[in-house]
Amino acid sequence: MSLLQVEQVTKQFGGLTAVEEVSFAVEEGEILGLMGANGAGKTTLFAMIAGNLAPSSGRILLAGQRIDGRSAAAVNRLGIARAFQIVRPFSGMSVKENVAAACLYGRRRLKRQAEAERVALEILGRLGLGEVAGRGAATLTLAQRKRLEIARALGTAPRLLLLDEVLAGLTAREVEAALDLLVALKREEGLTLIVIEHVMQALMRLSDRILVLHHGAMLAVGRPKEIADNREVAEVYFGKGQSDA
Amino acid sequence: MEIILSGQLVLATLVLGSVYALVAMGLNLIYGTMRLLNVAHGEILMIGAYVAYWAFTLLQIGPLISLFGAMALTGGLGWAVYRFLVRGLLAGSGEIVQRIEANSLLIFFGLSIILQNLISLAFTANERAYPYLDQVIRFGGISIGADRLVILGISLTVSLIAILFFRYSMTGLAMRALIEQREAAALVGIERDRVSLLVFILGFALAGLAGALISMTEQISPFSGFPFTIAAFVVIILGGLGNLYGGLLGAFLLAGIEVYGVALTSSAYRSILVYGVFIAVLLWRPQGLLGGKRIS
Amino acid sequence: MKPAAALIAALGLGLAYPFLVGDYLLGVGLSFLMWVSLAQSWVLLSGLTGYISLGHAVFYGLGAYVMALLWTQVSLWVAIPLAGLAAGLLALVLGYPCLRVRGPYFVILTFGIAEFVKYIVVAIEAGLGKSGRLLFGGPSLETLFTIMLVLALTATAATYLTRRSRFGVALRAIREEETASETIGISVGQVKALAFVASALIPGMVGAVMVLRSTYFEPLQVFNPFLSFTIVTMAIIGGSDDAPGPLLGALFLVGLTELLWASAPQVYMILLGLLLIGFVLFLPEGLAGRLLRFSRGPAP
Repeated sequence: MSLLQVEQVTKQFGGLTAVEEVSFAVEEGEILGLMGANGAGKTTLFAMIAGNLAPSSGRILLAGQRIDGRSAAAVNRLGIARAFQIVRPFSGMSVKENVAAACLYGRRRLKRQAEAERVALEILGRLGLGEVAGRGAATLTLAQRKRLEIARALGTAPRLLLLDEVLAGLTAREVEAALDLLVALKREEGLTLIVIEHVMQALMRLSDRILVLHHGAMLAVGRPKEIADNREVAEVYFGKGQSDA
Repeated sequence: MEIILSGQLVLATLVLGSVYALVAMGLNLIYGTMRLLNVAHGEILMIGAYVAYWAFTLLQIGPLISLFGAMALTGGLGWAVYRFLVRGLLAGSGEIVQRIEANSLLIFFGLSIILQNLISLAFTANERAYPYLDQVIRFGGISIGADRLVILGISLTVSLIAILFFRYSMTGLAMRALIEQREAAALVGIERDRVSLLVFILGFALAGLAGALISMTEQISPFSGFPFTIAAFVVIILGGLGNLYGGLLGAFLLAGIEVYGVALTSSAYRSILVYGVFIAVLLWRPQGLLGGKRIS
Repeated sequence: MKPAAALIAALGLGLAYPFLVGDYLLGVGLSFLMWVSLAQSWVLLSGLTGYISLGHAVFYGLGAYVMALLWTQVSLWVAIPLAGLAAGLLALVLGYPCLRVRGPYFVILTFGIAEFVKYIVVAIEAGLGKSGRLLFGGPSLETLFTIMLVLALTATAATYLTRRSRFGVALRAIREEETASETIGISVGQVKALAFVASALIPGMVGAVMVLRSTYFEPLQVFNPFLSFTIVTMAIIGGSDDAPGPLLGALFLVGLTELLWASAPQVYMILLGLLLIGFVLFLPEGLAGRLLRFSRGPAP
């Protein structure tokens, strides 16, 4: 059974259809890249999978269990974590407290704070944030805050991690480091990922498969090579994308 | 059915609605452009009322003249509040907008308490009133005080002028741009600081004007401004926060609910009615009956 | 075990206090403990979650009303917990719908609800033909003081422990970023409602005790919005993030009240307004936060 199944999912805001009849599945241990121009419906799709928005119609299943319509908190406890495109740290807390909070709730639901802090430090060390663990979250650089966003999501012990443009705004070296990290997470922890990314090469390198959204509908899905060679995708996406860049 | 068609009640609704429209407009302007809820609005109105009261009692100057003085004084207060309180607030760490907005409410609440007690210290807490244009006019079975007709006339005229001002003058357009797109307005070269200052002066002056008018018919005391803050707040939520046209509609809607509600039950239930509507709109339709600007 | 030792010391001192002072100072002590109980309860909700309630008078007033209704019907020891329970029930009913409203709207909503309930009680009492209720034969000032001591210590311990608990982490996370809190598995709706109920219980009981102190129930007095305003001011002045804040705030304000309230009430109120504005603008962490910063040295 696939870890995540999205079946015929549609989301309408008033008269506007943001996501239309999207269906796909993600296998355990896979990295799925999500591609599409601004307004293609990627973030809306994430919001529905993570439980921040309820679909207008369609079903979403995690390991065979329906999750659409449940609250974000409930979905997270079942094993889906989300890192936001615009980072949302708990600014008034330390970096360690940010991640420890996730360890106390989420799928881990640790009961003791000392235990949560120990796990948090492990995760932070792994993401190269060990040295700033005691600092206030508001004092971090953008690159560090993006990593904190991932660290906090990992704190909830997810089975599926949704990453929304976590590479945006990073330097080339930081992107390299982040990519290595994501691949390592997948390999060593068996984590499954869905990644939204505008840095094209990065997405191509990282993903096992790529799904392309266009005006809310699915345009194509396949291996990175297939997507790169897809004429339709090249027309509506790359043509425009290259001139934008 | 009789009661609904009663000319007396329709007229009472119109008078009260026009006052609410005026009071709410000032509050709405400041909210719309700066996202600040000035809960001291009613106290500003009271200051206007006291100006008119003293002008009449000490100098025998009628409220139709002294209202200019009331506007000047309250407009000046608007300048001072913006200059010394709001600027400092906006200059502070702008990290979490919502927390600042909640804090701004506390600041205006503090201001409201200060003004209430300053007035009470200066003029005692006694209720005051003066007779002005209190002859009754009758036509077609309806009787109404001349003062109320004057209030209706002036409130409607000023509200219309204000709306025309927003529609057609450069400054009015700049304010509307700020209401509709706060971030973008800064980009197109609208000087936010200058426009915000103007908004404060204008918003406070409108409250002062409303106060001078109200002093003709109501008893005033240092603490009688607050109910107007609540009423104005209900009006702008009904009409949509930041939506000036919706505010007009909201004003007459609330006035209707109040006038007919009291007529059908008893004046003892007026406060329950107003606060009930207030809670209901906040809980069920915080974006206003007409939609309009989002609340969050 | 330092906090526990402090608690025992405070209990001992509090129990001895009525034997050490006269009626005047006992009254001052009672009002200090009252404000501590109220401000601690407020911090439990508003300080930790950032949902600023400007309507806590509603719980105090409801508690007083319950006591006024039950007086001479049931024993004091049943009536006081029932008053707390009634306040908690009201918070349970109000919690879910109200806590969906955020920021300044929540502040003004809580204020409006308190006024709404006040006028309803006024109307009920008027309908019953009562213009107030006298509560004769209440317990002695010493007894009231001792009950209030227990309430104040309970409220302080509750804030202190909550601040350091797993639940407290959820409350602070909600204060910092509500959407992110939800996505890390915190059921924010339940957590907020629970905090709301917890912060209503003790104010309900405080109202029940204080109405016995004044021996007179009058709706406009016990539901006075000034009470809500003072609670907020006190907590903001003292510091609203932890248990020491309300203690400092209450101490400061009770001192100010003794100096000014009787001789110059308007000046007192003006000062209160100025203090609130000053602290919000320049010292949002309050006296306790400032002292803590000094004792720890400059921030890293």
